[in-house]
Amino acid sequence: MTNHTKFLGRHASLLCAAAALVVGAACHGAVTDSLLTATDPDLITPAAVNPPDGATALRLGAIGRLRSIAGGSESVWLFGGLLGDEWTTSSTFIQNDEADERNISLNNSSVTGQYRTVNQGRTYANQAIAAMNKFLPTQSTNIAELYFARGFAELTLAQDFCNGTPLSDGATLTLGAPITNDAMFRIAMASLDTAVTLTGSASDALSVSIRSAAKVAKARAQLGINDYLGAATSVAGIPTTFLYEVTFALTSGDNILWSQPASSRRYNVGDTLVKTSAGTFVVKPSIPFGSAADPRLPVANSPANTKSQDGSVISFTTNVWGQSTSIPVFSGLDARLIEAEAFLKAGDATNWLATLNTLRAAGNIKLGTLTSPVMPALTDPTTAAARVDLLFREKAFWTFSRGQRLSDMRRLIRQYGRDQATVFPVGTHYRGVPYGTDVNLPVPTDETNNPNFKGCLDRKA
Amino acid sequence: MTRSTFWLRFAGRTLVLLLLIAGTGAVASAQTGNIGVTVMEAGGKAVFQAQVSVVNSNLGGLTGLDGKVLIRGATVGPHQVRVLRVGFAEQKKDLTVTAQGTVAVEFTLSEVAVSLTPVVTTATGETRRVELGNTVSSIDVSKLTESSPIANMNDLLNARAPGVLVTPGMQTGTGARIRIRGTSSLSLGNDPIYVIDGIRMSSGSGTSLFTGDNQPSRVGDINPEEIENIEIVKGPSAATLYGTDAANGVIVITTKKGRAGAPQWSVFGEQGQLADRNPYPNNYTIAGHSPGLTAYRECGLPLISAGTCLKDSVRVYSPLNDPSATPIGNGYRSEAGVGVRGGTDAVRYNVQISREQETGIFKLPDFEYTMLDTMKLPLRPWVTRPNALDRTAFRANLSFAPTSQLDISVSTGFTTSDSRLLQSSNATAGIGSQGFGGPGYSTNGTVAVVGTPLHGYRAWTPAYTYQEKVQQGVNRFIGSMNVNWRPTSWLQNRMDVGNDLTDRLEDNLLFRGEGPPISATYRNGFAFSGRADIRTITANLSSTATFNPRPWLNSKTTVGAQYTDFKQYQNGASGTDLPPGTQTAGSGATPGASQSTTLQRTLGQFLEQVFAFNDRLFITGAVRSDQNSAFGTNFQNVVYPKISASWVISEEPWFKAPHQLDNLRLRYSYGKSGVQPGSNDALRTFAAASPNIRGVDVPAVQFSTLGNENLKPEQSAEVETGFEARFFKGRISFDYTYYYKQNKDALISAIVAPSLGAAGTVRQNLGAVRNLGQEIVINGQVMDKPWLGIDLTLTASINSNQVLSLGGTPPQIGTTIRTLQGYPLFGLWARKITGWNDKNKDGILTYNADASLNEVFVDTAFTFRGYSAPRQFLALTSGFDLFKRKLRITALADWRGQNRYYNNTERIRCVSRQNCNGLMNPGSSFEEQAMVVGTRNDPSATLDGFFQPGEFVKLREISAQYTLPSSLASTIKARSASMTFSVRNVAKWTKYRGVDPESDFTASSGGDAPSDFQSFGAPTYFLMRLTLGY
Repeated sequence: MTNHTKFLGRHASLLCAAAALVVGAACHGAVTDSLLTATDPDLITPAAVNPPDGATALRLGAIGRLRSIAGGSESVWLFGGLLGDEWTTSSTFIQNDEADERNISLNNSSVTGQYRTVNQGRTYANQAIAAMNKFLPTQSTNIAELYFARGFAELTLAQDFCNGTPLSDGATLTLGAPITNDAMFRIAMASLDTAVTLTGSASDALSVSIRSAAKVAKARAQLGINDYLGAATSVAGIPTTFLYEVTFALTSGDNILWSQPASSRRYNVGDTLVKTSAGTFVVKPSIPFGSAADPRLPVANSPANTKSQDGSVISFTTNVWGQSTSIPVFSGLDARLIEAEAFLKAGDATNWLATLNTLRAAGNIKLGTLTSPVMPALTDPTTAAARVDLLFREKAFWTFSRGQRLSDMRRLIRQYGRDQATVFPVGTHYRGVPYGTDVNLPVPTDETNNPNFKGCLDRKA
Repeated sequence: MTRSTFWLRFAGRTLVLLLLIAGTGAVASAQTGNIGVTVMEAGGKAVFQAQVSVVNSNLGGLTGLDGKVLIRGATVGPHQVRVLRVGFAEQKKDLTVTAQGTVAVEFTLSEVAVSLTPVVTTATGETRRVELGNTVSSIDVSKLTESSPIANMNDLLNARAPGVLVTPGMQTGTGARIRIRGTSSLSLGNDPIYVIDGIRMSSGSGTSLFTGDNQPSRVGDINPEEIENIEIVKGPSAATLYGTDAANGVIVITTKKGRAGAPQWSVFGEQGQLADRNPYPNNYTIAGHSPGLTAYRECGLPLISAGTCLKDSVRVYSPLNDPSATPIGNGYRSEAGVGVRGGTDAVRYNVQISREQETGIFKLPDFEYTMLDTMKLPLRPWVTRPNALDRTAFRANLSFAPTSQLDISVSTGFTTSDSRLLQSSNATAGIGSQGFGGPGYSTNGTVAVVGTPLHGYRAWTPAYTYQEKVQQGVNRFIGSMNVNWRPTSWLQNRMDVGNDLTDRLEDNLLFRGEGPPISATYRNGFAFSGRADIRTITANLSSTATFNPRPWLNSKTTVGAQYTDFKQYQNGASGTDLPPGTQTAGSGATPGASQSTTLQRTLGQFLEQVFAFNDRLFITGAVRSDQNSAFGTNFQNVVYPKISASWVISEEPWFKAPHQLDNLRLRYSYGKSGVQPGSNDALRTFAAASPNIRGVDVPAVQFSTLGNENLKPEQSAEVETGFEARFFKGRISFDYTYYYKQNKDALISAIVAPSLGAAGTVRQNLGAVRNLGQEIVINGQVMDKPWLGIDLTLTASINSNQVLSLGGTPPQIGTTIRTLQGYPLFGLWARKITGWNDKNKDGILTYNADASLNEVFVDTAFTFRGYSAPRQFLALTSGFDLFKRKLRITALADWRGQNRYYNNTERIRCVSRQNCNGLMNPGSSFEEQAMVVGTRNDPSATLDGFFQPGEFVKLREISAQYTLPSSLASTIKARSASMTFSVRNVAKWTKYRGVDPESDFTASSGGDAPSDFQSFGAPTYFLMRLTLGY
């Protein structure tokens, strides 16, 4: 062996020693595991929601999402109102401008979020239903409420979004194909029927409330498919005082119908006149919610000359809702309005008018922070078209910003043969740009990640 | 037991045995002697801090003030000693070491006009630059801080190195976006990582506060005064051994260390002023009336053209340009510090402390003092000056060598700071929204609810914005220990351990009855108090064996392991609806609390083999294997290989070079590195919620993330090649680099179809992105006379970026930014404005649905309009030495371009504020009008006109440093004294129509879609500094 070889041999040993020092210390299996384990306490794993308590938590999460679809977040209730005539944008957000101008881009981030929220409502309900059936199958009223929440999400998709929204399965991650609005109404009705069935004949307050809410929701779906008689039948017997509400507390979020329009002044109550620091602009056609001085919707610029969030539009807001005021998702009032429409559709103008006037005379209908006063009776305008106008105007004031107006405006076109130019605002928007032609909310671009979806089937009413 | 587990345990158990062998080897090593080295320059002056090393061994050291160093423990026999020093030519000498004796050798170095630092820090330790197959940019920070207007890390890095794009935050105390060789990742961060004194440094955007504008950065905690030098490792080919997370480059910071010799005190003081010299746009309003009416109304140009509004006058105003109303004034900066360095060959120390205070340019307009006084509201510090920084930094570094085989260096740095930040840009309460958004007149009414005059601001005046306090306090300790143990002349073991620990305290406070009337409850007051504990623990171990199997061949083998453990624990308490006078979260009527944790751990092992052939051809091969806590359960390990070659071809005997060429080196490098997924990206999770149901807040969970159990790191592979040449006896050097970087398994935040009802995105390894580019550095000593010296450094770079694949996922479509296969990441897309024609010759462009009447023409399809950030760079640093080098004048200018910049400020002014030039000024150009018509009136609503040319030239720095005569310095008993006057952000030239083509409110928030949105420009700094040496 040469000196050189010996040298190499000795060096190789030492090199191995050094290598072993670092590699051995680093790679010992148990050491590696402990060095790399990182358990984040922020996370809730699927295993954690398996026990019965987990099923209950999932159920409450799903009902919480229903709240977000209604008045718990900047939802379709507000954006549908912008697209329709309930609200006018007074913010600096381009997303709101697009909705108000009836020209919503497919990547409108607000609409994208709202669409996702509605679908989450459905998926969360399905996950909770599975968990409840597994761990707490005897809690049929609670399970019924989950079916109601699912049906409400499906109803919202049918009422407010374009023809051709896909339904996917969030539990199995199966992507669905587009479904027509008509089919979506029927899917919603099936979910709501299940809710009604599960409550059976239980007479406790919660069961009655959920059963009534599911019936009114189903009736709204039935209106969507031209089944007026069926709708009236569904809501028969529901007392006018019935309310199924989403509730609020300072610790868990404000009533969005208060915080966005009244508190942040980002929405103005819709009107035929929009006053700004740059002048006063006329918007036609529109129900003049702001200037109608209807006691169901008091509107004021208070303090005087207060401007909106955009610094230009003179702010006109309503005090119908306060920071934590509950909002009815469905109510006995809705039931009566459905019955009134069914009467009118059946040609029974007498009972139609009587139903409307009964509500006006009640003097005790809860409207957020207000109680409706006794109002003068309406007189029959005698023509069919005027009766329809009157019905939908009454509905608009009774249900202001509760997610019904856009659907009703669409039905005026789809079911009553109105031209969109006589239903939706047209001409030049107060911001100086022309109104577009949107009559519903689009399924946003994000859905194109579903290979079954290529776009709305159509954007018709 | 699995096979791999068996081998790992086997390796561990044999460790002790092998160590015993190693110890025996060390004891049984050959006899040794010493080498005494003296290094002088031509005039006989000692050369301080020269790097002396025994070739092909681990022995070496730095010369002291006397130019001497004693190297102990050299094996008996022939050796070659090498001396390296920046500014001098390398020298080598042969000698023979005798047993127990000291052999003396003296070097006389000759100056070269231009030279890079000859030694750089790599993942395996200090290495001669000449051995690397990749380029490493070096910044001599200790010199820069004395001679240039350097206030923070942004200033230090900006325009210093080719291929490094720094977009600084505009407010005092904010960070920067730093991109090295383009952007690679679609969905993860593109920030480089930082290593300080051998350990990982936390560098993320560091706040839980919202200002709507640039944010503080943990990189900004480091005071440049503490830094000796910075090296920028640019891409995966060089960063392989830094492992997962290093694909975007590594910035290696070395702090100032002690030097052998008598204590040397250094004292400095700096004073300066900040001024905003940026142009701000005027607001325009056309006052008019409708035909047949007299009521006042305001008219946009299209309405005047249509005859539906008649112009009475054009009103022009901006509070930003009105001295009596502007919120912009002069800021101030001061810094002072003292340090001492010294020691012996065995123990060296550096201790320094400095304090800096900077007040940003934002001030309270004069009229606000009257308003606050009238309303009996207090003038709180943050109301009068809402943007400020106060920081004290202390550093103590100690190096000692207990034996000739062992060096231990302990580095400690402690920083405590308070920074006050202004709400601006994208904040609803921000000052930008008010200043840019008002009408063309100052008599625009009163602030809602409170009723004070608006003075031309949009909805409220600056005092209301300033009343909201946004403050961050930081206490940060970075401590590391570097151990270098050389048991034999051929074996070196290194260990770096340390902890970067940050304690962050944040306050967001608005007293009841103060602040803007954003909502009905905003002025009820709120308080947020946030605490974060952020720590990064690093442990590096490596061992390097060096030997010479043949006289012409040297081998260097390194094995090592690295462990990093990042943790961030954060919580916050909030309270809204405060009682009058209270300012704590707990006093709010509505309480809130938050808590979050981020954990990320990486364990890597590496092996590197370097062969040096005749000390002129160097071939390196390496491999690193990483495990990471963020990898999916189905993915355990990633391997990053590397190979590189460096060939000093001009030293080959056969090389016949023209006599002007002194040195030519060829470089090639290939390597891989990675970017780790987010810490929880792999997991399917649920999230907690507490909705109110039937009047009660209830505990609930909701489906949150889909997770991806196959998740693995994004991997980037890079080829880099180039050459370095020196000409004319070192007077000119030329460095050229070409790189091609491509990632695979690029992590995409793939959008989940909303109909699934899950979270919005899921991380998937799908895409591929490539960056290619070229970099050039030219150094030249144009003149070198006693009465005048001129030196120039020109750096240039170009980057081309392209998405190669989105893995079958649909294009990512944003309002302005789109990511499509075949196009650059984060490109700007719009329907192009193809032209305009004032058909009716009324001087106003309008849209008309009738094509024959339409005057602005817009494409129907979206097209790529340009890179959103610059991709070509040119920087020129010039230095002039006068009066026997007593006076040195330097300037730094740079050009950036080949991009469009999103003028989002003008967009909102035209679309929402209705006060922009193109809408409200009859004197505006057709181009400006077309921009407005395209977005307001054309059905496309195109933003094309707001994607404006982003090219600019900036004279970033100019400075004059005068070294006072010794006689003058001695009058204050100083060894040396110098005065520096410097200016930063001196001037800019650009076609960009906005305030500043670098104003970007997202610059320090981690994103890659720049946007000038109601943002202010960079202030100009005028600084005066006195440095004394004792």
